[in-house]
Amino acid sequence: MSLAIETKDLVKSYKSKSGTINVVDKLNLQVEPGEIFGFLGPNGAGKTTTIKILLGVIYQTSGDAYVLGKEAGDIEIHKQISYLPEKPYYYEHMTGFEIMQFYASLFGIHDKDKCKSLLDRVNLGNDMNRPISQYSKGMQQRVGLAQSLLNDPQLLFLDEPTGGLDPIAHIEIRDLILQFRDEGKTVFISSHELSDVERICDRVAIINKGEVVAQGRLEELLVGGRIEITANNCTDATASSLRDDDTLVSMNHGRVIVDIPDSHSPNEVVKTIQGAGGEIVSVIPRRKRLEDLFLEAVTVDNRAKGRTIGTMTGKDDGTEADEVTA
Amino acid sequence: MNVILAIAKTTLGEAIRRRVLLVILLVGVLFVAIAPALEALSPRQELTVLRSLTLGVIQLTSAVIAVVLTVYLIPNEIERRTIYTILSKPVRRWQFMIGKYLGAVGALGLMMALMTGIMLLVFVVMGKSKDVSDLAMLAKVPIAFFIQMSLLAAVSVFFSTFASPIVNFFLSGGVYLVGTMFDSFFNVLTKETQPLIVKIPATIVHVIIPNFQSFNVQNSVINPTQVIQNETMLYVGLSVYAVTYISILMILGIIVFEYREV
Ligand SMILES: Nc1ncnc2c1ncn2[C@@H]1O[C@H](COP(=O)(O)OP(=O)(O)OP(=O)(O)O)[C@@H](O)[C@H]1O
Ligand SMILES: [Mg+2]
Repeated sequence: MSLAIETKDLVKSYKSKSGTINVVDKLNLQVEPGEIFGFLGPNGAGKTTTIKILLGVIYQTSGDAYVLGKEAGDIEIHKQISYLPEKPYYYEHMTGFEIMQFYASLFGIHDKDKCKSLLDRVNLGNDMNRPISQYSKGMQQRVGLAQSLLNDPQLLFLDEPTGGLDPIAHIEIRDLILQFRDEGKTVFISSHELSDVERICDRVAIINKGEVVAQGRLEELLVGGRIEITANNCTDATASSLRDDDTLVSMNHGRVIVDIPDSHSPNEVVKTIQGAGGEIVSVIPRRKRLEDLFLEAVTVDNRAKGRTIGTMTGKDDGTEADEVTA
Repeated sequence: MNVILAIAKTTLGEAIRRRVLLVILLVGVLFVAIAPALEALSPRQELTVLRSLTLGVIQLTSAVIAVVLTVYLIPNEIERRTIYTILSKPVRRWQFMIGKYLGAVGALGLMMALMTGIMLLVFVVMGKSKDVSDLAMLAKVPIAFFIQMSLLAAVSVFFSTFASPIVNFFLSGGVYLVGTMFDSFFNVLTKETQPLIVKIPATIVHVIIPNFQSFNVQNSVINPTQVIQNETMLYVGLSVYAVTYISILMILGIIVFEYREV
């Protein structure tokens, strides 16, 4: 079977004051049919731009983009795909039910029951006769999901489907997406919610500045573990000296957390810290998370290209990490 | 066809709820309603004053509505990103554009019908009309205006494929003004005695710009000595003229829109 999505050296450039910049830069993606594919990258990496090219809403500068075996933008293909835009907006004067009917009619579907049952499926059955202007963000996002199911799509493009949603709505949408896979649909999802992506995606691509920096099956990309070394009484200088391509260092009021791949020995880090008068609190091995891969891939890419932006070492352990520059 | 109608219907529904348009419409309706009172201030106590005033108000209000409605028609879709959801469905760009245009024209028609209705009501209630045939004659003028405004809307939809709303407002307004003063304007500029540097561009503009003046059929109603020979032919002629222009403008607009990034 052919790929659900394929791009070959896809380039999209925009002219800016400082010359042309490639927002998407020789992007090569392969998405298999039936999988949930996570499309990740920092803000401004080019995710939404890529999705828009795949939908044929904007045009690439060079390279090729194929969706379900046809060139991106093919109108026949549009019958089999659907799209949930990031920060969606719907005609506010319409009710949830009316907006569903409107989108349905664009597919030539005039099935009121279908519109209704899809709204039920996203838990909007009771609110379907209220105008969209009265909907909360989460409700609008759910209308978006409902409309994206109208044509029973084979392939769904979801651009930050959980953006701005509360944890419960998150889980609901995550479960819905998992159901799509059971129904044999391919889901292409761009998201900053790495823990969600890690839970539901089969494969991911991480892009940075329009280029793929990592792509593959999650279980292959996340092989190996990491070791987290926590120490007190550290100086900024010590923390900086520990910093390396695959070593994440975060520093907060003299407490340092050093995160290294388990292929490295923690002894060296421990020695360095102790040598500088630091006091080891714990050394804990843990599984490699998507977040680690993301930071690693993006940081390594940025350093290799001599960029200084996007090298924050933020961690999700509740401490507010001071930025440590190499 | 279904797709175009669905887009048109939604556009219409949104347009008739747009506050700016409703305010402009309200001002127009108010003027139409109080026109008989204003007439009393006029020294010439003739029906012609009231008629030209009322029809003039309807025409001006409609022109403002037509431009304000259409300059934002497509830019708003892009700004709010509603266009992405639509174009990612099996909707072609030309269908989208024609649907938007037809929806706008529909909303315009409704608003103009409202003003015309109020005008007729005021004339009947105030006893300013001789008989039914007189009223019918009066009611026909806004039909010509409607055809005129549909053409104006097409001009502005065309501009909106590449110009920002503000620029478009002045472009479309300018085209309308020049097109309304068509004969007087171009008679002077294309005179034999004009230097070529004025004459040639003026002739080109003369050929390109729609003749909005020919839709101003109110003179025959205001001034009964001006008789239109064949009214049906006049309206058919105006419609054909407008539809031709609208088609050309839409095709050009679609070509620009097709290649443009949204
Ligand atoms: N029309 C445009 N003209 C110029 N630059 C643009 C245009 N559209 C997008 N860009 C630039 O392209 C880059 C990528 O934008 P894009 O929206 O694809 O990022 P993203 O990966 O979706 O980011 P986010 O995670 O914040 O949604 C940004 O730097 C943006 O400023
Ligand atoms: Mg984005």
